[in-house]
Amino acid sequence: MGLRKFSLRAFLKKNFDFITGILSEAGLTAVIMGVTLVICVLLALISQ
Amino acid sequence: MILPLTREDLKVIGYNMSKIVYLIGVLLFLPIIVAVIYGEFDVIPCFLVGIAIAFIFGSLLHHFLKTEKEMELKHALVMAALIWLVAPLLASVPIWLANATASYLDASFESISGFTGTGLTLATDIDHLSHSINFLRHFLQFLGDGIGIIVVSLSILGTTEMSSVLAFKGEAKDVGIRPSIVRTSRIIIGIAVTFLLIGTILFTAAGVYAGLDPGTAVFDGLNHSMTGYATGGFSVRSQNLLYYHNVWIEVAAIVIMIIGALNFNLHYAVLGGKRREILRNMEVRVLLLFLVVFGMFVSANLLQLNLYSSGEALFRKGVFHVISAQTTTGFQTVPSSILMFVWPVLSILLLSIAMLIGGCANSTSGGIKLLRVGVLFKSLVMDIKRALLPKSAVVKGSFHHIDDVPLTDTVVKGAAVIALSYLILFSFGTMITVAHGYSMEDSMFETSSALSNVGLSSGITSPAMPATLKVTYMFLMWAGKLEIIAIFVLIGFIILALRKGIRK
Repeated sequence: MGLRKFSLRAFLKKNFDFITGILSEAGLTAVIMGVTLVICVLLALISQ
Repeated sequence: MILPLTREDLKVIGYNMSKIVYLIGVLLFLPIIVAVIYGEFDVIPCFLVGIAIAFIFGSLLHHFLKTEKEMELKHALVMAALIWLVAPLLASVPIWLANATASYLDASFESISGFTGTGLTLATDIDHLSHSINFLRHFLQFLGDGIGIIVVSLSILGTTEMSSVLAFKGEAKDVGIRPSIVRTSRIIIGIAVTFLLIGTILFTAAGVYAGLDPGTAVFDGLNHSMTGYATGGFSVRSQNLLYYHNVWIEVAAIVIMIIGALNFNLHYAVLGGKRREILRNMEVRVLLLFLVVFGMFVSANLLQLNLYSSGEALFRKGVFHVISAQTTTGFQTVPSSILMFVWPVLSILLLSIAMLIGGCANSTSGGIKLLRVGVLFKSLVMDIKRALLPKSAVVKGSFHHIDDVPLTDTVVKGAAVIALSYLILFSFGTMITVAHGYSMEDSMFETSSALSNVGLSSGITSPAMPATLKVTYMFLMWAGKLEIIAIFVLIGFIILALRKGIRK
């Protein structure tokens, strides 16, 4: 019917840079949240 | 020597504006689709009137000012300054006719706040606004600040390369992604739509987890994703994100706010395979530094006064507002009344500084921009080195921003001029707010919020505030969005026209 068989491997290979780029940016936001959360928890612990 | 203005100058500006005015008219059809979906047929005439006004105005400009002359930089800057006034005024018509605000001035304020991605609101009852008007408010932020109205017009209408480059500069955007400006515009739209989808999925999933019904979760998620990526900060709830009392919605907001505040060139490089750029880029490092330092000081200050005692509360209230301020988004998880009357002065001042500095250059965020602050700091370090080293020593500086960029006097001067202009406008806005009887710290907070297109409010911005203050903030939002230079050129144009007249 003209529909090509979907291949996850081919999709990932074709969009590798894009997907890893998105994950890198997600990683940056996770680092920022992680670092600031640790600081908040440490401050709260110190003050108790 | 400055040449006197000619009628041809006005024609070039007006004719190029007409295309964007048409586009505004076309884009106002989108909320009508939302109105049809939600059965809000009584609001549709409000949009149709707005569309009609846009088409009539566009036709007049197009017919009477038609010209073949190519745009120059002065035309582009004046056109950008004017279109960022005209477009919000046109889009404010449906907001006003639908009684979403108390007056046309308030509707214009709302629309300028939307287009510039500020997020200060004068809407009277956000919780009971129609879906279509609410969608329009959020869409304005995504269109104006998330992508840029000139970028949209270039990608759809297309125009000569020279005119496009200049128009881009007028909108305070970088042209350096790709050689073709139309291709650059489409890449910017592609990046924006990608993150809009990701944000919508995150917000919707968090909303469903928080107990919203799927329809509401999708609508709220789409709108918050549009304003989060645009670092705009409008919300479909009068209490902003505080309404949900949900940590995952706040996490989704933090993710999309930070991504929105990153440089388009950085997005393009990282999504194109240069993943290490995210660690090497000077702007990202400065962003990380400021978020950590401001987050630590605000949290410590809030803890000192026993406002919040747990690490989670400090993160969800203190750090969240630091990120919201630094990225110039304006999402709030604390009511304005608590910010104004309960939060300590030091925290308010730190948030004001974060707002003034803002996010990355060539991103959706406002403020002086991290790149310029980084450049000025590096220049300061170089000057200190020059003073300490022997006279014969040659001190050279550079910074990494996609490529290694030498720190020349021209780069430093450019950064210093914009920073100084921001500080002058900040002082001007603060003085006017203080003159209306508000405290110094609240005036500084609200002024930096308007000037840097943030939207966090200490409570000053309300339908009841004086009209003079509304107009002042409208000016600050407009000037801040265009990074001021285009406004100065427009003022220069007007002075030139008044002094020397307009020649044939």
